[in-house]
Parts: sequence; C-alpha cells; structure tokens
Amino acid sequence: MGSSARKKQEKKKDFQKPKYKVGKAKPKASNFTDTSFKSKAIVMNQQSLSTAAPDVVQQFKHNLSLASSSRSDKQRRDALAYLTSQLSSHPPINPVGTNILLSKLLPLISDSSTPVRSQLLKLLRVLPEEEAKHSTEQAIMFIRAGMTHLSADISGDSLGVMEWLLDVAEDELVTIPGGWVKTLSTFCVTMGWSLASTVPGWTSAARSSLRAKDAQTLARQISILSRFLQAGLRSETAAVPSSEEYWDSFYGLPRSSNAFEYLNLFGSRRDEEGEMYPNREARQQVFYRRFFEPVTKGIEKVKKEGGAAGRAAVGLDQVLKDGMGDYAASAGMDAQDLLNLW
Amino acid sequence: MVKRKVAALEKIDADFASLQYKIRRDPKSYKDDFLKQWEQYEAQREIFFTSPTTAAADTVESFHNMIDLIAHVADCYPEETRTFQDDLKAIVSQHHETLHPELRDKVVGSLVLLRRKEVIDSTSLLTTLFPILVSSRSKSMREMLFQKILSDMRNSNSKSTNHPLNRTIQAVLYNLVTADRSSPRAIWAIKLTRELWKRQVWTDAKPVDVMKEACLADNEKVIVGATRFFLGGDKEREELEDESSDEEIDLAKVKHQITINKKSRKQKEAYRKAVDKVKKQEKKKSKPHPLNFSALHLLHDPQLFAEQLFEKHLQGTKNKLSLDTKLLVLQLVTRLVGLHKLTIVPLYSWFIKYLTPKQQSVTSILASLAQGVHNLVPPDVLEPLIQKIANEFVSEASASEVAAVGLNAIREICSRQSLAMTETLLQDLVQYRKSKDKGVMMAAKGLLSLYREVGAEMLKKRDRGKDATMGLSSGMMKQRKFGEEEIGGIEGLDLLAKWKEEQRKRKRAEKGLPEDGSDDSDDEKDADEDDGWEIDSDDSSDSGEWINVEHSSDEEDEPAPKKRKGENADDDEDEDEEANAEDEAAELERMTKLATTTILTPADLAKLQELRAAASVQKAMGARARKRQQADSSNNGATHHQDDGLTAENIEAPIRLRKLTKEEKVALAKEGKPDRDEHKSTQAIRKSKKDAAGKSTSNREKQRKKNFLMTLGKAKSKQKRSLVETRKVLRGHVERSTRGGRRRNGT
Repeated sequence: MGSSARKKQEKKKDFQKPKYKVGKAKPKASNFTDTSFKSKAIVMNQQSLSTAAPDVVQQFKHNLSLASSSRSDKQRRDALAYLTSQLSSHPPINPVGTNILLSKLLPLISDSSTPVRSQLLKLLRVLPEEEAKHSTEQAIMFIRAGMTHLSADISGDSLGVMEWLLDVAEDELVTIPGGWVKTLSTFCVTMGWSLASTVPGWTSAARSSLRAKDAQTLARQISILSRFLQAGLRSETAAVPSSEEYWDSFYGLPRSSNAFEYLNLFGSRRDEEGEMYPNREARQQVFYRRFFEPVTKGIEKVKKEGGAAGRAAVGLDQVLKDGMGDYAASAGMDAQDLLNLW
Repeated sequence: MVKRKVAALEKIDADFASLQYKIRRDPKSYKDDFLKQWEQYEAQREIFFTSPTTAAADTVESFHNMIDLIAHVADCYPEETRTFQDDLKAIVSQHHETLHPELRDKVVGSLVLLRRKEVIDSTSLLTTLFPILVSSRSKSMREMLFQKILSDMRNSNSKSTNHPLNRTIQAVLYNLVTADRSSPRAIWAIKLTRELWKRQVWTDAKPVDVMKEACLADNEKVIVGATRFFLGGDKEREELEDESSDEEIDLAKVKHQITINKKSRKQKEAYRKAVDKVKKQEKKKSKPHPLNFSALHLLHDPQLFAEQLFEKHLQGTKNKLSLDTKLLVLQLVTRLVGLHKLTIVPLYSWFIKYLTPKQQSVTSILASLAQGVHNLVPPDVLEPLIQKIANEFVSEASASEVAAVGLNAIREICSRQSLAMTETLLQDLVQYRKSKDKGVMMAAKGLLSLYREVGAEMLKKRDRGKDATMGLSSGMMKQRKFGEEEIGGIEGLDLLAKWKEEQRKRKRAEKGLPEDGSDDSDDEKDADEDDGWEIDSDDSSDSGEWINVEHSSDEEDEPAPKKRKGENADDDEDEDEEANAEDEAAELERMTKLATTTILTPADLAKLQELRAAASVQKAMGARARKRQQADSSNNGATHHQDDGLTAENIEAPIRLRKLTKEEKVALAKEGKPDRDEHKSTQAIRKSKKDAAGKSTSNREKQRKKNFLMTLGKAKSKQKRSLVETRKVLRGHVERSTRGGRRRNGT
C-alpha cells in the first residue's frame, strides 16, 4: 500500500549520508545548537584596570566598602581585619575619619556572621577614644537594635559593643537624647523585667528556659547594666570654677559638635523617651518613676536564683543603693508634667 | 532588595514566621518576646529615620521584617502598639516618594492589614492613602493604592451602607475636583467614583455631583472621564449586574460529582459553597429590585449644568478641546437637553456651521442634534437647521450615503419636533422615496410614514395614505400644536376596563340574566366575589388563556373602519363620523372613570400587567403594529427608550445597505475554504489536513484504494451468480436503501 512506501522512504532517510560538496559549507548536524549571541554591549560589574598598584588610601576605602556591603562573610571579615591592622599601625592610617568609618561599620553590629561581629569589636577597640565619642548617638541606636535582635548570638555580641561604648563615652551616653531612658528600657526588655504594671495574681510568665548559656548572658547583661547605671547615677562634683572658663562660656565659640542640642531647634518634638537628661537629678527622677520598681523586682528574683547572675545582681543592687540612696521623690513639678500639658 | 543568604543556624534562631505564629497562638505567654521585638522595631525605626532616603539594603530589609511582624500581631497587644499606626502613616505619607518600593508596599499592606484587623478604621486609612494616590509618581504604587482603596470601600459597604464613611470620602473627592480645576489629579476621583458607581456601592446624588463638577474642569482628561461616566456609567452598571446574575450553578451536577469522585474535605467545602451561592441567588431574586436612578436623573439643576457645559466647552472660541472631546461633551449636553426638556436656544444655532458633509464625524454631530431636540424647542429655531441639512446633504448631486444620512437626521429631528418642517421642503424630501438607492429610499419612506402620523396635512393628498386620509376627514387626526401635551393615562387601563366589562357580562350570562342589565347590584357582588384584593392563583391561569388570542378575534375587536368603507354610502358618512367621535369620547370617559372612581387593587394591577404583556405580544405578531406606534418611536424597527441616547449608527444607513469594501468581500469569499499555501486541489488539501489531524479515511476512500487484485475475486463471483441470486441481492439492496442502510435509521 501507499503508506508503506512512504514509511520506507522515511526510514531510508535516517541512513542517508550527507553529501559534501566542494565550495559549500559543511551541512549542519540535525542536533546542532546555535550558541552564538549578539549583544550591543557587554556589562561588567566590577572592573579595575590599572597598571599601578592602588595606593593605601584607595585600598582603605575599597576595604571599607567591602566590609560594609560585601555579600560574602569571609570578605567582610577580611576587610575588617585589614581595616583593623591599618588603624592599629603607628601612626594609625585613617583617611576617611572615625565618624564616617563608624557610620559605615556600625550596621555590622547586627551582622549574621559571628566572625564578622568579633572582628568588628576588635576594630572598635583600636579606634581613638576621643574621636569615637562624637558618634555616640549613632552607635547607641545600632547597639539597641543589636541587643533586641531575635538571634541570641547577635544580642550577646552587641553587649560587647555596649561595653566598648561605656569605656569610650559613658558621660555622653547617659546625656544624649534618648540615651538614658531608651537604653534602660532596652535593658529591661532584654532581661524580661517587664515595664508594664505587673498582673495581679500568683502566676507570672516564667522565663521559659533557663539554660546555662542564658544564665551566663543574664549575668553579663546585669553587670553591664550596673556599669551603665553607675555612669548615669554617679554623683557629680562641680568643677572648680576658673575665670577663664567662665568668660569662655559667654564669649568663646562652643567646641562640641552640636552645642545647642538641648534646645532642639531643628529636630522633631521629643517625648519622654527621646528627651535629654543632662544632669543626675533628672536621670534619677525618671529612673525612679519608670524603672525603679521593675529593676528592684528583677534583682530580687535573680538574687534568689543565685549563681553568676545572682552575684552580678548583688553588684547591681549595690550600685542602685549608691545611686538612688540620696534621691527623694519630689512632689514638685517636673518635666513630665510640662510635657503632658502640651 | 536582594536577600542576603542566611546561615543555617541563624535561620532557626531568627525565624519571624514561627515567632509570629507562636505569638498569635498565645499572646500572653510570649509577651516578653513581643516586647523585645517591639524594642527592636523602635530601634530600627530610629535608624531608618536618620536617613530614610539612603538606607542600606540591610537596614531596609530588617525594618521591612519588623513592620511585617508587628502588623501581624498588633491586634494581640493593642496597648503596646498604640503608636504603630501613626508611625506607618507618617512613614508612608512623608517618604513615599523616596522609600524603597518593597518597603513602601509593605507599609501600605500593613496599614490595610491593620484595617482588616479593625485596629484602625476605614476613614483614617482612606484619608491616609488617598492623598498618596493622588500625588504619587510611581505607577505601580498608584495601581496598588487604587486597588486597596477600592476594596476597602467595597468591604466596608458590603454588609450595609456605611454612610459616614461614604460621606467623608465623597467630600474628599468633591474637594479634590473643585480645589484645582486644571490639575489632572481629579482623574482619580473620577476613577474611584465610576468604579463604585458601577458596583452599586454608591447610588445617590453625591457622586453624581462630584462627576458634575469634574465635567466642568479645565483639564481635558478629567472632562473626558467625567463625560464618559454620564454617557456610559449606567449601562456599565447594568451590564455588571447582568453578568453577576448570569452565572448559574447546577447543584445536581455538583452533587453527582461528589458521588463519583474521591470524597474529600475540599469537595465537601465546594458543595457547601455552591449551596450557599444558590441560596444567596434565590434570596436576591426574591428581594425587591433596588431602585437605582440613572446618573442623568440624579443631577441637581440640569438646566444650569447644561448651560455651563455648553458655554464653557463648546460655545467659546477659547477652548482648546479636541474634536473627539467636544463631541463627547456635545453628546452629554444634548442628552441632558433631550431628557430633561431643557431650553438652551444658542445651542441650535451653534450647530449650523458643523452641518456639512465634509465635517469630520458629522453623523455623530447629527445624532447629537437630533437627541437635543424635544417638543418644547421653538420650531423656528430648528427650521434653518433642517433647511441646511436638506441643502447640504440631500440633493441629486450628493452621494447616496450622504443623502440617506441627511434624510435620517431630518426624520429623527422631526420625530421629536414635527412642527419644524415646512410643507414644501417635506414634499420635496418625500420625493426621494423613488430613489434607486435603497438607503435613500428607505430613509425617505421613513420620513413619509412619520408625517403620515404626526402631520398628514403637510403631505400631498396622494402621499397621505389611507389611514391618514380617513383620520383627517373624520377629524380624529390633528396636528399637535406647539407645547400641547398628550393627555396622560395609565397605559393599558382601557384594556383593563374592557376585560372587566367582559367578566361582568360572562357572569351575568352564567346567572341567566340579560347581558346589558343594570350594574348596581352586580357591581357589589363582583366586588365581593371576584375582584378580591389579593392576587389569586387561578386569576393568573385564567388570564393565561387570554394571552393567546387569535388573530380573528383581534380583528373582531376593532372592525369599525373597515366595514364602514365597504358598506356605507357617501351620504350618511357625516352621521357615522359623529357617532364615532361620540364613541371615542365615551370610551375616554370610561377609562378615566375607572381610574378615578375605583382604587386599583394589587390584583387589578397584576391583571393590568398581564393585559399589557398580551397586547405587546399581539403587537409584535404584527396585528396592527404600524397603527399603534407612538410618535416618538423611531421607524427603523427597534423602539427606543427615551433614556437611551441617539448614536451615529441610528443616523447612518443600516449596515447591510452599505457597500462592502474589497477586504470584506474577500473575507466573505474565503470563509470556510482551506488556506492555499501550495497549489493542490481542494480535495487534496482537505485530505492532507485530515491526515495531519490523525483521522481515518472514509469508507469510500478505502474502497477506492483497495488493491485491485483483492477486488478481482468478488468481481468474478458476481458474474457467476444465478438469476435468483442476483435478484436476492438486488432486492436486498432496495430494501436496505428504504430502511436506511445496514444499520437502519432511527435505532
């Protein structure tokens, strides 16, 4: 029949040899895939072509950008290590300035990789203290974010950064806007000392699991908190007045970066949390009103648990007694009443 | 935002999803964790606000995550998250231009989520989102916001109409439209209003007011949008309603499927949903139809509005609108004029310069003119227009299409105001019914038949036709004067009266009384027995017979004029006329009497409805369709409702009269034929198609292709057959062919 003839033809086709002809291109195989492509331009992500090796400044900046924005953990860590070595050389090499360096690197407090975070802490330690002071406000924001991070590792490591900040700029830390109240509330929240009025009744939400590691962290938190409170509630001694300073205060140009910050001329309105608490009394007042009760309760609880945390709590108790011993709740009008009136 | 890879350990640690799940399941025990996250959120917010524009990808991502988490659990801790909504509102309204797109979307989504959880109310949500919608420069953002706003409006109006919210939003829209007439921002007000109108969320006068203001804007886009709403918004609404009611669910089918397929929870759910839907639909059916007025009827002070529209967009020379827009506005103005019978005298003289065949889209201008005419327009204003149309369009020299358009336009105008025509012009135009072109001929005939009804005196005697001549001579037919209105009545009331009369007669016949007895006693009895207040079931079945009235009985109903022509002599015609007139008067009186002396019961009204339906059935069957046609109904078949506007298609000749273009002819010829890539016979092409589709060959083909050698044997044996055998075979063949083949017909 007709169809069988056709089928024969088809079968035959498979075994036919391709005929090569002189002067013609070789016929393409049946399974040939065309891999050529056309493009108007070829884009390269990074390209650095230069004959000379980059100078130190360039290299520093390159590493800084790597540290702040590279996607690979190792690269970030290595870049940080490079920066650390540069900063710790004599004399320290820092072409960008501490402030910019910090603003780039502080977000790494919440970095997901542990080696990066520990390297960051090393770097912070070698920064000159005098210059790092001016970035306190920025630093404390990132530290607060780190301390409340969902990951326990990150919040633990950011305690180290907090320690560094206390070493470097404890006076600034407690006086800047938001530095006192917000940091205290962060501490309380991380330790689970609830700020809200406690629910009447017997049962309280128990700390879900008190593993050894948690206990260690708690001890560390408490000891750092006691350092913080110490800094904030330390009794101030008036400096011996000198006539030069007196006249300077009137006629000399202020030397701090934002001398009239307490007037808050350009920022948004601050609430109680974001307010500045420039002197000890103000800090005592707000501490007494908002934190005294939860903190003392927390101390009691931790003391009962004993261990390292208990010992730290005893220290904290002592600090509290020293700091708040001479405070008497005044019935007079304070800043809060004024704020409420607004 | 490319997500940074998360280390495995961290993944377990920083799992927002599981935390969210836990918190939502047991808010009390996870309060500490929540508070920690809240602090984290605060910190992130602070960091973000230090530089919202230049935030790094990491910062944005972590802030994004925090917003997501807090928004999902906000309803568990209303006290702690008091400030959250204000934060979100501030973020999105201050920084929406510079925010990272994903973060922006997340913030908006979270606000909507808060609304769904009823943490915030609709008003505050919409007043936050709407200004952003209006001012945003991102297209995707606007689209999303529009969707969100719309769905929120629908949701909050779904159970019952949320009047306070509607009022607030309508006020916002109104202000938006009226605040800056020249800005294109008002387009959003229009879009929103139109959408809500379409879905019948808003059906009152206030959105119409918004649209009215938008019509008077300076921005062309806004004008077009608003005008289109008036011209098509109601149709759109009806269509949507039809669509939604169309989808029927076959419950039996669903049930059957369940018995066959695997039984699963999903199936059960589907069945339950189907049942719900059917129930809902039934409920909807039994509900009284919501009384939705069209936007044109809800307008406040249409006279002023139409005047303003005309003056602002059409009359002056200053306006820079394009012709299409002008046409739309013109349509709206004339529609308003026609519908509400407004008087804008300068409107008609404005038309004059546009009435030439060369004018672009002149048919729609003509249609607008026609729909802007009503019976209260002074005829002397229209006369020059009709004269001009006749001069410009209808002449021997002009193309047949043009002439047809002109005649149709004149007919449409005159059907609304018949007094605008002069006698000589009419007689001239009517001459075109002898035209060779079908379109012109039909148009002229249309005009003729129109004037036979409304103004037969203006026609020549031989053009008047039988009915009109008789009507004129009997004095029944008179041209209506300017401003004269038809005496109103209830449609079909005469039918009801007649039916009642018949009923009464039948009853009397049953009782054996003379049919035309005194009514006094019977009426009361009738009232007792038959004309019950309620609609009876047997009542309707009874009337079911009545609908199928045969043609002959219909003729018996009104035989008067026919008989008279055949039988009556000339001399007693006068008397007959008088009698006829008296009859008419008596009938009129009886009709009005029924309406004025008795209260129509629901049963009566139902009967009235039935009678009307029966009458319209008869009319459709063609009994006396021509005669009963109203003056305002157009002559090309379908009758218009007055609310529907006139379009250019009504003016142009019917499409089948138009000459086909070459492409159309070719397309028509090609229809149903195989495409001819290669030159083969049609048969061959069909066959190759069949092969390609994998179909088998027909029996005939198989027979033809059969190997010759295989057929030989049978051929040989055929020759050897005896006569008896041959006869048997032949008989069998005949029998088979009568039965319809071996397989028989019909089994």
